[in-house]
Amino acid sequence: MCAKGVMSKSPWVVHVNCNSCNGCDIEFLACLTPLYDAERFGVINIGSPKQADIMVVTGSVNHKNIDVVRNIYDQMPGPKAVVAVGACACSGGIFHSCYNVIGGVDKAVPVDVYVPGCCPKPESMLDGVLQAAAILEKKRLDKNYKVEEVKV
Amino acid sequence: MIQSDIIKILLVVILSPILGCLLAGLDRKITAHLQGRVGPPILQPYYDFRKLLAKENFVSNRFQNLYILAYFIFILASLLMLVFEMDLLMIVFVFTFANIALIIGGMSTGSPYSKIGSQRETMAMLAYEPILVFYIVGMFMLTGSFTISKLNSFKLPLIAYLPLIFVCMLYIMLVKFKKSPFDFASSHHAHQELVKGIMTEFSGPTMAIIELSHWYETVFLLGLMFIFWKQNIFIGVIISIITYLFVIIVDNISARLYWKWFLKYTWSVAVVVSIANILVLYIYKIKLS
Amino acid sequence: MNNLILLLIVVPLIFAILFTLSNNKTFYKIISYALCLFGTTVSIMLAYHGTGNIKISGTAFSIVEGIIIICELLIILFLFYVSIKNKRWGVLTLTAISTVLSVYTTFFIGKSETSIINVDSLSIVMALIVNIVGTLIVVFANGYMTEYEHHRGMKSKQKLFYAVICVFLAAMNGLIFSDSLSWMYFFWEITTLASFILIAYNADAEALNSGFRALFINIIGGISFIGGIIIFKTSMNIDSFSGILAHGRVSSFAIIPVFLLCIAGFAKSAQVPFQSWLLGAMVAPTPVSALLHSSTMVKAGVFLIIKLSPAFAGTSLGTAIAVYGAFTFVLCSAMAVSQSNAKRVLAYSTIANLGLIICSAGIGTGVAIAAAITLLIFHAVSKALLFLCTGQIEHTIGSRDIEDMFGLIHKAPALTLITAFGIISMILPPFGVLVTKWISIEASATNPLVVIFLVLGSALTTIYYIKWLGTMLSFPSVNLKPEKTIKRPFSVYLVLSILSVIVLAISIFITPIYNNLVAPEIKSLAIKSKDSLSAVFGDVSSKSGTFNNSLVFIALGILIVLSLIVWKVLVSKTQVKSIYMCGENNSPDNDKNMFRSGNDSLVESNISNYYLKDIFNEKALSTLGYVVSISIILVVLIGGLL
Repeated sequence: MCAKGVMSKSPWVVHVNCNSCNGCDIEFLACLTPLYDAERFGVINIGSPKQADIMVVTGSVNHKNIDVVRNIYDQMPGPKAVVAVGACACSGGIFHSCYNVIGGVDKAVPVDVYVPGCCPKPESMLDGVLQAAAILEKKRLDKNYKVEEVKV
Repeated sequence: MIQSDIIKILLVVILSPILGCLLAGLDRKITAHLQGRVGPPILQPYYDFRKLLAKENFVSNRFQNLYILAYFIFILASLLMLVFEMDLLMIVFVFTFANIALIIGGMSTGSPYSKIGSQRETMAMLAYEPILVFYIVGMFMLTGSFTISKLNSFKLPLIAYLPLIFVCMLYIMLVKFKKSPFDFASSHHAHQELVKGIMTEFSGPTMAIIELSHWYETVFLLGLMFIFWKQNIFIGVIISIITYLFVIIVDNISARLYWKWFLKYTWSVAVVVSIANILVLYIYKIKLS
Repeated sequence: MNNLILLLIVVPLIFAILFTLSNNKTFYKIISYALCLFGTTVSIMLAYHGTGNIKISGTAFSIVEGIIIICELLIILFLFYVSIKNKRWGVLTLTAISTVLSVYTTFFIGKSETSIINVDSLSIVMALIVNIVGTLIVVFANGYMTEYEHHRGMKSKQKLFYAVICVFLAAMNGLIFSDSLSWMYFFWEITTLASFILIAYNADAEALNSGFRALFINIIGGISFIGGIIIFKTSMNIDSFSGILAHGRVSSFAIIPVFLLCIAGFAKSAQVPFQSWLLGAMVAPTPVSALLHSSTMVKAGVFLIIKLSPAFAGTSLGTAIAVYGAFTFVLCSAMAVSQSNAKRVLAYSTIANLGLIICSAGIGTGVAIAAAITLLIFHAVSKALLFLCTGQIEHTIGSRDIEDMFGLIHKAPALTLITAFGIISMILPPFGVLVTKWISIEASATNPLVVIFLVLGSALTTIYYIKWLGTMLSFPSVNLKPEKTIKRPFSVYLVLSILSVIVLAISIFITPIYNNLVAPEIKSLAIKSKDSLSAVFGDVSSKSGTFNNSLVFIALGILIVLSLIVWKVLVSKTQVKSIYMCGENNSPDNDKNMFRSGNDSLVESNISNYYLKDIFNEKALSTLGYVVSISIILVVLIGGLL
């Protein structure tokens, strides 16, 4: 299961919590623990967006944090990818018809990988991050690469 | 001769980052096993370096990357001077130039996180610099010279008469390698202390240069410890390996401490212990044979 | 050669009179430039001429003695007048004591009939500093003083200002060439008077207080000086430096007079416990701080101590002076860490470096004297540059506080770069001050107490400069837009640029400067010492180590070349983004670090430097300084008496 390519061997992650109940966040941070060990793929939870490749977003987007998400996405140097983790990030989830919720993360930034679930298992999240890493490599080679829809 | 010098320079410039990269990878692997997991492949730092070169370069202050270049060149200069066995006091001053360039580079970005990181790094420098210079003064008192090459003419190693200073040097290696309990300025392993400390606003190729400089710095710091038993290469290398393992293990078993604690205890305990060592050398007029 | 020296003393006096003739700014400009040209040319001519001694006797001697007596009378009368008018009884008492002692010395002790003008390498070095750096500061003052007085709403006293500065320059020129102790005392008192007038320039309460405090402490130094003269003349019939040095190392009886002269030097150089006058003198206008209180007048004190060093090198008195100097160094470096006022930081740094010079002079070996004289040269130029920059910064942003200098590179890029260069020349290799720090650690490594103080002090020195340097250079900016409303006087920026070029040049040409100006002095001052420093091609080496300054310059050169090569990757083609503030950045022009806080309010992020005011408490450290330094002085005095 060896990733190939310059970008996919070292995916650095910045973790943004938009509107989440923290369930997905806890499970994502569990990925870094010895049981799931994200670091064996080179995944590091880097805090600064200027050094990150993949933005892992949990929670939905509302009027207050839509600029925040865009700001952080803007500060990431390319090639970059966004992984929407959890039902709230994919489409607004259980809260999507609330008065303050705009929708999923794709209302703010272009999303490359959706990891549905409420909350998804750490293995799924890790799988999503690694698929984003593979997409990064394609983005590096071709600047205008657009992700095709892949049904899993 | 000039030719052998040039070959030596080329060997150091090319082989040290490879050594540093492998040491960094080993560091992550050993840490992982100590934590009961598999960990990244040993070449992972190289993969990180390669990826960073392929990223775009975002800055917040247009000229901030020039300070990192200064940091890199002067780390390289101090490593080369160490290999050519020049005056150790001069080497430490050149090394300080590199660290100051990094600190000023952090402050130049204007970000609050990097400013606090730079302030903490300054306080760390205030604490450990006396111990480095006491080490050099101790070497002078034993050998009568500040130059490293003079050590070749003695049979006994430095560590025989500088045991307390050796312990203090091990202690400050923790902060130079950015490991717990003293990784308050910018942590190596936890990756997040004040976001990324001094290096919060650097990206892409500049981070690659920083990583490269860290590899050179690793070799330099282990070289400083190697001098404690310079006469016998094998034992010297073993001392360097012991230092590195010590640093990794202490990193894994301790929590991060506050910078005021480090400043207070270094100036009250470590400096006093080093002074005691030097005073013993002075009073009993001990010299290396 | 005696013509040159006569010119150096008399011509500034002529310029002093010229300055009082008119108030026209163009006129001032012309004569300032003329003064600068004169000072530079004559001092360089003197340097080329070489060393020597001139005897003054007969009618010339009587004339000079007559002038000295008249001028001293005038000074005493002025001091009485000024202390009575301002009701400063302490100063009055001290002036009375000083008068009695002067009268006793002049009329009741026998004196010699000749005096020597001594031109050695140390005097030439001081002459170069006083006449080149000093006259450049006069040119700077052209662009500075009008704005200064306008800012404070004072009526113009510039005639007085320039006249006193020219008299001061003449007095310094006289001081450094005098071999006779009483002549040097006369010039010493003139510099005290000039310092008082210039510190009290603002004529408000704070300035008057600081002026009288400076007068008080300097007169104490003067009394100590004249006490030493009296003891030397009555007990050993010595009245000149050559007489003291001809005696060789001091016997136990001569410790007291030599140490009294050293105390005069300590008071003039503002060592602990005398440091409060220099801190108070920072209220004076910046050219005064740069000229008197960092490059020239305070250097007169250490000049005296270096000249006396053969008398106490290698004795316990020398060790005591070395420990005293090192203690001042570490204490004042510690106190500078807690200061946020830039001029106070520079003042403490000056006192610390002077302490380092005194420490090296106290050790007295060949290497140590080399450290002392080279530090004197490099420090004078760098500190003058830094003080002048601080003055112009104060006119640019209206404040002296380091915290207000955040983002200065955005507002005044040229000024910030020059100040940054000045700070770098004080703390980093390959510049001179760090090389001399290396030399002094090597020289003192055999004396553990001194070396401990030096190591701790030099660690502290880098700290307070880094904070300042980082704050000035820090700002996220898209492009540097200098504010157009700042006045940028030509004389100011011309002098700052010339001084930076001088700083760079003396660091690059450290070898010729050392070999021609410092090494000859060491032969005459450190006669008994076997080790010495040699400088070849920018590498300074002693018998225990080598500082390859040339390699560091090469590394710096490689850095510059490399940065030009990768300029596109690292600078031009980068994209400027806002700083990371967890996504909450919210400021319209990117000129303030504002972020959205609770209740959607905009808050400015403000991180200040760490000043460690509780660890390096100025009051506590000053008290510690007073206790330790006064005990050292008392121990030496009592030990000398026994």
